[in-house]
Amino acid sequence: MFRLTTALALVLGTAATAEEFNFAVTTDPQSMDPHAVNSAPVLGFLNNVYEGLVRRGKDMSIEPSLATSWEPIGDGEGWRFNLRQGVTFQDGAEFNADDVIFSYERASSEEADTSSWFAPVSEVIKVDDFTVDIMTSAPNPIFPDSIANWMMMDSGWAAANGAERPDKDQGNYATLNANGTGSFQITSRQPDLSTTLEPFGGWWGEVEHNLTSVTMTPIQNPATALAALISGDVDFINPVPIQDAERLQANPDVSVIQGIEARVIMLGFDQETGGEHSGGGGKNDMFLDPKAREAVAAAVNVPAILRTIMRGNAEAASQLVSPAMRGFSTANHTPYAFDADKARMLAEETGLVGQTIEFKCPNNRYLNDEAVCQAITAMLAQAGMDVNLDAMPVSNYWPELRADNFDMYLLGWSPGTFDAEHPIRFLGSTPNAEKRLGSWNFGGYSNARIDELLPMIQSEIDDTKRQAMLDEVAGIIQDEVAYVPLYVQPLVWGTRSNVELTQRPDNFFILRWVTVN
Amino acid sequence: MLSYIIKRVGQSVLVLLITGLVAFSMFTFVGDPIDNMLGQERTQADIDRLREQLGLDQPFVVQYYRFLEQAVQGNFGISYRQGRPVGEILLERAPATLELALVSGIFAILAGIALGVFTAIRRDGIAANVIMSVSLIGVSLPTFLIGILLIYLFSVELGWLPSFGRGDVVDVGGWSTGFLTASGLKALILPSITLGLYQMTLIMRLVRSEMLEVLRQDYIRFALARGLSNRVINFRHALKNTMVPVITVIGLQLGSIIAFAIITETVFQWPGVGLLFINAIQFVDIPVMAAYLMLISVMFVAINLIVDILYAFIDPRLRVAA
Repeated sequence: MFRLTTALALVLGTAATAEEFNFAVTTDPQSMDPHAVNSAPVLGFLNNVYEGLVRRGKDMSIEPSLATSWEPIGDGEGWRFNLRQGVTFQDGAEFNADDVIFSYERASSEEADTSSWFAPVSEVIKVDDFTVDIMTSAPNPIFPDSIANWMMMDSGWAAANGAERPDKDQGNYATLNANGTGSFQITSRQPDLSTTLEPFGGWWGEVEHNLTSVTMTPIQNPATALAALISGDVDFINPVPIQDAERLQANPDVSVIQGIEARVIMLGFDQETGGEHSGGGGKNDMFLDPKAREAVAAAVNVPAILRTIMRGNAEAASQLVSPAMRGFSTANHTPYAFDADKARMLAEETGLVGQTIEFKCPNNRYLNDEAVCQAITAMLAQAGMDVNLDAMPVSNYWPELRADNFDMYLLGWSPGTFDAEHPIRFLGSTPNAEKRLGSWNFGGYSNARIDELLPMIQSEIDDTKRQAMLDEVAGIIQDEVAYVPLYVQPLVWGTRSNVELTQRPDNFFILRWVTVN
Repeated sequence: MLSYIIKRVGQSVLVLLITGLVAFSMFTFVGDPIDNMLGQERTQADIDRLREQLGLDQPFVVQYYRFLEQAVQGNFGISYRQGRPVGEILLERAPATLELALVSGIFAILAGIALGVFTAIRRDGIAANVIMSVSLIGVSLPTFLIGILLIYLFSVELGWLPSFGRGDVVDVGGWSTGFLTASGLKALILPSITLGLYQMTLIMRLVRSEMLEVLRQDYIRFALARGLSNRVINFRHALKNTMVPVITVIGLQLGSIIAFAIITETVFQWPGVGLLFINAIQFVDIPVMAAYLMLISVMFVAINLIVDILYAFIDPRLRVAA
């Protein structure tokens, strides 16, 4: 009889309870493998299912997760992690040091997309079943911060299912299935269609949420997602289009949650001597002179962009990281000032006037990216600069940047470690494939002092000394106008008004902080 | 006759091969999938390795040849985005598109014929004129706008129908159907109307003009003179003769319903092959794009081939010419 009623309830679609939670995402996580794809949609979602040794709290601070405590070994030879006892994976297997070793080998393997996290690691040693030493080749004060998304996988489960290594190319069992220690477990997974989760009964932590079942549906069309939220078909969407946020706020059934993302949007410049340009044809060294870059910085009216295109939802940036990041340089907190006269003067002085600036821009990567680029183009034109804007989908954009087909480009950077060292490594260092440095420094900016400071920053244990060096780097980048930071990208989430949740600046949606009233 | 068929089949295969070649030469312009597959902290070495693994370092002709080699063995490759066999994904998505196309086709035919007959018979009535004017809007508004308007009205404002998706589906022997649940049927209404509206107006206008033509014929006047009832004249004599060209057009429109489904599926997040294709373009998921395009061209080429062969059966002159 019970089964009949359940079946009937399912058919009639009346099985819904208050704690059934539906949410929409724009990008379906492309893999359930926590080591195969190092991207926000994947890691953000899997943070609900898998857990790392450490995790980030509501304020982004590092807190214990599968490790209860950790301390540096000796003079910075490594870090000792004391593991939590009594933790089980969702299939019932026990979590212990062997799984940490296995997850290290898996996540740092050549097949993994997360191997760069382990570049400083020389060795991982199992001390006993619940103690692990992670040795680093140089002192590494922020190592615990850098592994918050390194998730633990059960070695037995992976071996039994032939998923000992991630497989980006062909996919394997772990691409479609998950077995973490997290507070939610996946009950069904239809890639691209829907994914359902249920709370994991054996979770070690204290349950804050009141959800009984969760469904995630990808909805790519922003208008459809908005309609689904207003009509109550879904309880949460991310993002809400900025232009609709104000109107949505007026709706009593829905609330809009706004915050600041960790991502800084900036302009980059071609600074390599004699760079080849397919667009301009031949060499173009217009931005070699820092004064030319300063002309652009003075010509762009960031407050106006924020007021009109971002509708007051973003704040101006002064450096490559936002103030919420560790290591933000308060000494260099003033953004470049808008000064049309200065811009015009510098542009004439450096010979920018009379040349055509090839400006590349994505049109589906950042919030309102194309509109921002159009505004910048107009602002530079007002200062006498001739700009040829070329906006394109992101799939075409990165190859274009890698091929150096630009004089100026738009880039957003969100530091994975939430530390100011991160953008220095990827954007501020002289490109060096061997040392894995400057891999996103498309313009080829190079400063010997920054290259010298970076390894010192990475291994400095003393916070004051470290900050002094970070300040110095931020100062150099600002003085030389290596990049023109524009603003910190806003986060705009929409929920039904009976939902309470926590918005984290990394744009991860954490289900265990959701309550439905 | 046999040589004619063989020749036609040969031409069809050639068309398919050329379509594939054009498709593969276009993929380079869609972008580079590598950046979508690797994260922020990738190195140039990672990029090169994956590109080699996927065979993307080869010229497109080589890529195309490899695709064909696998495709004739029934293997369409692995989706870059989902890490699953493309054949499996297409089979999973096909029922959604076919059910949507079926329902909107039926809607277009039934409503189109009914309204066409009505506007022809009452051609000076107010209702008929209103329908004709409104149908003009239906033809001129783009599909996505109609879809969004319908969502706004029936989901957001009235709350009667779901705003997206297929509702609950039931799996019948590997075919996921939305016909068997209440929410599945409700979910079909708005997308079907959106998708079928254009074809409906087309059929309606065609039926109307054909019907008006037929109603002027002598045999209709003669039937009137014989004292037959209006119902018999309109439906037995006039409508039957109207249907010949209408059926031809309906047949031709079948393919375009499936092709138009891409936009409707995007607006309603309808999990069919059209939506799959759109997402594949954004991600540069080459195996999915290739398989979809080949599938669609096989469909169109097959329809044309069948028509050609049927013509040959009907018209002996074609056989002689061959």
